[in-house]
Amino acid sequence: MVLAMHMGNELLSIPMAVVTLALAGLLVGAAALRARKTLSAEKLPLMGVMGAFVFAGQMINFTLPGMPGTSGHLVGGVLLAIVLGPAAAIVTLTAILVVQCFLFQDGGLLALGCNILNMGVLPCVLGWGLYRLALGAAERAKAWRQYAATWLACVAGVTAGAALVPVEASFSGVLRIPTVQFLGVMVGVHLLIGFIEGLITFVVVAYLREIRPEALGLTPAAAGAGGVRTGAGKLSRGAVAASFLVTAALLAGVIAWFASGSPGGLEWSLLEHRYGTGEKAAGEGSSAASGADTWQAKWSLLPDYGKRSAPLGEAPAGAKGVQEPSEGGASAVKGWTSLAGMIGTAVTLGIVYLAGAILRRRGSIVGENGRQG
Amino acid sequence: MHHRYIDRFAQGDSPVHRLDARAKLIAVVAYSAVVISFPRYAVTELAPLAVMPMAMLWLGGVPAWFALRRVLLLSPFVLFVCLLSPWYDRALHPAGFGSWRFEIAGGWLTSADIAAKFTLGVLALTALTSTTRFAWMLEGMRRLGAPSMLLVQLGFLYRYLFVLIDEAMRVRRGRDFRGAALAPAGRRLSAAGSILANLFVRTLERSERISMAMAARGYAGEWHGLNVLRFRARDAAFLAGVALYLAACRWPWLSAR
Repeated sequence: MVLAMHMGNELLSIPMAVVTLALAGLLVGAAALRARKTLSAEKLPLMGVMGAFVFAGQMINFTLPGMPGTSGHLVGGVLLAIVLGPAAAIVTLTAILVVQCFLFQDGGLLALGCNILNMGVLPCVLGWGLYRLALGAAERAKAWRQYAATWLACVAGVTAGAALVPVEASFSGVLRIPTVQFLGVMVGVHLLIGFIEGLITFVVVAYLREIRPEALGLTPAAAGAGGVRTGAGKLSRGAVAASFLVTAALLAGVIAWFASGSPGGLEWSLLEHRYGTGEKAAGEGSSAASGADTWQAKWSLLPDYGKRSAPLGEAPAGAKGVQEPSEGGASAVKGWTSLAGMIGTAVTLGIVYLAGAILRRRGSIVGENGRQG
Repeated sequence: MHHRYIDRFAQGDSPVHRLDARAKLIAVVAYSAVVISFPRYAVTELAPLAVMPMAMLWLGGVPAWFALRRVLLLSPFVLFVCLLSPWYDRALHPAGFGSWRFEIAGGWLTSADIAAKFTLGVLALTALTSTTRFAWMLEGMRRLGAPSMLLVQLGFLYRYLFVLIDEAMRVRRGRDFRGAALAPAGRRLSAAGSILANLFVRTLERSERISMAMAARGYAGEWHGLNVLRFRARDAAFLAGVALYLAACRWPWLSAR
């Protein structure tokens, strides 16, 4: 997680830091009150110790298929929200972020408010809500449905949190990088991270269903009676492939979108609309997911429409016509420079990522300790 | 893995270590606020601000390589932002260094400014955390009014962080010895998931044992710590000095008059 979205002091202005710190303090205070009410007294150590678990869980890495040299590991926010409930998860993640700030200097002192909002409050609340919404009745859920719910929760939670970083930075006014470009990069990268997170969170949840169903709030009888015992631990290859395709299509869509110029307010709402449909479709099943996939593929041809307007007629959404005039004629040139900017961004990101990977391997505390054994 | 591996310098003893945790915390928060209060194109104005963290690190006996390595480790994201800025902000700005006058693109100034602010922030935070024990920091935060619920969880997190990391390392070593790297991707993933879930369950059980042990020792909802913090005259002097220094850095024309 070299590109983990820890925000530093340097991207913030003082008013923004004060506002986010106050907001985060308020929300975490509310979450702490709620957690105290819902958790019994003998579960007091649970949240802190779970925070330690998230750190320890990051030691269990695995190399990603098709991407040698990179390795994935659990980030943990959505898993905590699923198992502990959003309130306790927010308190736990806040504790994690404070320790990361103090012990590892990850994220600045004044940016703590932003980081708590981006990586604690939003992923927990959004991820937990979507998970419950998509899962339906937990004790009868089939494996694919649980997988879809977990994937949805992780992708949405992680990406939404990451998308807040450029927004906060632009409100602070420190950066001169256009918010839209920055947003495109953050969203693109974190879609992938969310996908990996969803995969591994699901594997953990599936295993928990088998050996500790009560940890997920199920009675053991319900978990057994639902017939999940046989198939819950198995990751359906089709489900993984479908979710990967949808993620890739979303990714292509985002890159196409942000590369095709600077969208205005109208297009923004359109983007959100599309996001919503894409994810809902994925939650509903593989056939709907593949439908969304082809639909997205059509849509990702968009960067080309600067040159040829033929696909416009075939375009599924009528709203595209609204957007066309802003792109026509002279501004096509602008679009090309922003595309170049986008490619430059991606290349820079790659270089930085590699540098980060090398640095981490050489000198990180974790890496060194791993070698020591 | 012992916790001294990460915060070994915090256990030391020096004039900086002996300062009250509250004084250092307030000083570093104020320092960070002053650093980010400088405008976007300020670069050379930030230079005097390097004095305070350097001095704290030096007086606290923390080696410079340790602090600089922290800066390097954390730099990739900031580096990414810095490399992008010149691409977008190409308006020329007059700049001067001594008698040398030239024009430079605003993007480069922003990059340098962000990099400098980042370095200063990390140095100051390193200076704070490597001269203050975590337990004392928590006690200081409690006295400053942070919610006790969060502080208790922080205490647990810190206490069990190293225990659980140790456990995870042992499991990982076992997995690697059994040739996990040779397995196909699906098997690797499900192995990682099973290990994580297993650790998760073990952690749940551990937290139950902890709360039983706490109950056995008479825990009744009240947290008691060793009261080691005392705000002395030297802490007040330290804070006053920091305030003067920060004011002089922020508004140099005041001291020039």
